[in-house]
Amino acid sequence: MFILLLGMTLVLSACSSSNATTVSQEMGELDPENPTKVTFYSYSLAAPTMKEGMEHLINEFNDTIGKEKGVIVEGVADASYQQFKADIAAGKAVDIVQHTFSTLDNSRETLGFQAYEDVFPAEELNNHLNGISDNALSLGKIDGKTYGLAFTFSTPIVFMNGQLFEEAGLDPTKPPQTWEEIKEYSLKINEATGKDGFALAPDNGWTTEGVILSNGGKVLSDDRKEAQFANQESIEAIEMWKDLYQNGAHAVGSDTELPEQFMAGNLGMYITSTAMHSGFKNASEAGGWELYGAGLPSFGNNPSVPVNSGSVLAVRPDNDVKKAAIWEFIKYVTGNEGYTIITSEVGYLPLRTELADDPNYLKGFIEENPLYKINLEQLNNIQPAVIWPAEYATEMSDIFRDAIVQSVSTDADVEKTLQAAEEEINQLIQ
Amino acid sequence: MSEVKRIIVSEQEKKVTEQKSRRAARSLIKWKPYLFLLPAILLLGVWMYKPLLSTFVLAFQKWSMVPGTEPITVGLDNFIRLFQTKDFIHSIENTIFYTIGILPFSIIIPMLLAVATNGLNGRVKNVYRAMFFIPMILAPVTVGAIWRWLFHPANGLVNLTLQKLGITDGNISFFTDPVYAKWLILFMTGWGLIGFSTIIFSAALTNINRDYFEAAALDGATKWKQLLTITIPLLSPTILFMLTMSILFSSQFTFAYIDILTAGGPFGSSTNIYYEMYKYGFNNLNAGLSSAAATLFFIVFAIIAIGLNLLTKKFAFYDN
Repeated sequence: MFILLLGMTLVLSACSSSNATTVSQEMGELDPENPTKVTFYSYSLAAPTMKEGMEHLINEFNDTIGKEKGVIVEGVADASYQQFKADIAAGKAVDIVQHTFSTLDNSRETLGFQAYEDVFPAEELNNHLNGISDNALSLGKIDGKTYGLAFTFSTPIVFMNGQLFEEAGLDPTKPPQTWEEIKEYSLKINEATGKDGFALAPDNGWTTEGVILSNGGKVLSDDRKEAQFANQESIEAIEMWKDLYQNGAHAVGSDTELPEQFMAGNLGMYITSTAMHSGFKNASEAGGWELYGAGLPSFGNNPSVPVNSGSVLAVRPDNDVKKAAIWEFIKYVTGNEGYTIITSEVGYLPLRTELADDPNYLKGFIEENPLYKINLEQLNNIQPAVIWPAEYATEMSDIFRDAIVQSVSTDADVEKTLQAAEEEINQLIQ
Repeated sequence: MSEVKRIIVSEQEKKVTEQKSRRAARSLIKWKPYLFLLPAILLLGVWMYKPLLSTFVLAFQKWSMVPGTEPITVGLDNFIRLFQTKDFIHSIENTIFYTIGILPFSIIIPMLLAVATNGLNGRVKNVYRAMFFIPMILAPVTVGAIWRWLFHPANGLVNLTLQKLGITDGNISFFTDPVYAKWLILFMTGWGLIGFSTIIFSAALTNINRDYFEAAALDGATKWKQLLTITIPLLSPTILFMLTMSILFSSQFTFAYIDILTAGGPFGSSTNIYYEMYKYGFNNLNAGLSSAAATLFFIVFAIIAIGLNLLTKKFAFYDN
């Protein structure tokens, strides 16, 4: 019986195949009669506030260019950025992924994502990238090659509930500019209305970096070889946040609970990505209050340094025809039509910034939603969110997030907590 | 003569074929049990033993599970790294917390409920038992979502009620609090498990002969005395079965709620070893580390299972 088992084990082990991907810039011919199916894994499809817009984007492509050229894109909702990994590991076709920044290097090394320069013809690529903000393009580059093309993009915004502001005797058209003002306003709102004045979720994952950078701190060294978030400036920034968090006017809860509180009209100010805009706007209309916005607050007179949140499109074509199909979709969604839908229906920034002034595309929308102007202005002094170094990127970003949560929301000593986490990450890097 | 010879030859041939078929039958008899076992062995082999062996091998390798890549042998590295990982130690502590914490929900409360409803009449008894059982058949994802709303820091009923009653004066964020999060996950898992255990205990109770209770009642034994001296000893096999079940499966039962409600957080304070294994494997794509944790888990729980088995042999009392 044992021999039988052993034999079976050997047979089964032999089943695991290996398939190497060929690298060339040639693209195959698409056939409208016989369309090529492409899978698109997207976390926006899993977020209630963004789902509709993202579905519209995919359907619009399938109904126009897709039908004409012979491409069918199938969207796969991927709430926690894990489905695509599991499906790649299972050998399924995962062609395009809406990928976050922090773990891009890891995916490049372990999941077979390819550089745009390696798979798409240079001329096509250059023509298409023309017009996209350089600042944005550089964010998906690793070692000089584009592993992710900037796709959905946003900066942190202070969302404000106009009604609570007015009840506290504050003017929502004169929003807080500094963290000190945030504290002052939040205490006032709390006192006047009994509701929480302000929130920034400790587990937000990316705005944290903006808070640290705004105070002159650092998260990761420029060569990405050393975590550096336990320096004096970073510690000060986190201590400021801790003070805000624990002064009684800060809402408690996680990154999924706080937006719900804000939408229910129970929170004065909430810092999060502009991607939440469409959901918040609907909620404010339903609740009968006005929604206002402001840029990321600064420390004193130093200008604030927002980081970007959002995603890139990462690709892993496995043959030349697939490549052509993927390229058609990418051209569409990061083109004029694509960004118009992404901005007006999903809530991210138009990375083709000139669309904001174009009456055929977004001019009207931006005029109606002045909040996006703040966003576009912030794009000028934006810094890239950290891309943790390859192999243990996910672990590192978890360690960093956990240390921040612990520092801000508990009595733990900020300096010691950050130092311990920094050390742990640096051990992983080596 | 030739006639005789032919008969002898044919007799001999007959004997030979008979012997042959008898031998075939004998060997068939010898192989028959294995043939019957074959489908089960094949299925077990494919779904259990092969993955188990792969896990042991992977524990000494580094691999991201991506098709086209090959595992690299790294010796004991995975085990060393495992014990250096902060959350792994946390997860062991929590696994013990969940395992012990689940016992009242899987044994004590269900046993009392089963005993209390046992004396009721047909329909009433079924209504009660259906009520107990419903949480068990609800999908954990749905249950998780409902509990999350109930315990929402600002909009949830629990916080509103606590504040109305004057018990607390601020919002409590239950699922981002390192103490509450753990206890809530335990409580929710236990809440679901009570129904299942109650049914098991009720079934066991129906098997106990009523005569014992009647005789004891005639001799003047109180209900309490009956419970201690008749019910519990006769339920001992069931108690030990449920003990084994809940110790071995508590980590699995808590998994879904950990995943939906806290993702192991805040800062790893509610995670358990199953969730860590899942994270290493499918979030960090580190099959080696995940397998190393699984291997340790397998060894420790195999020892526990053997211990419980011995305990059952020693203490279970069967009323034949």
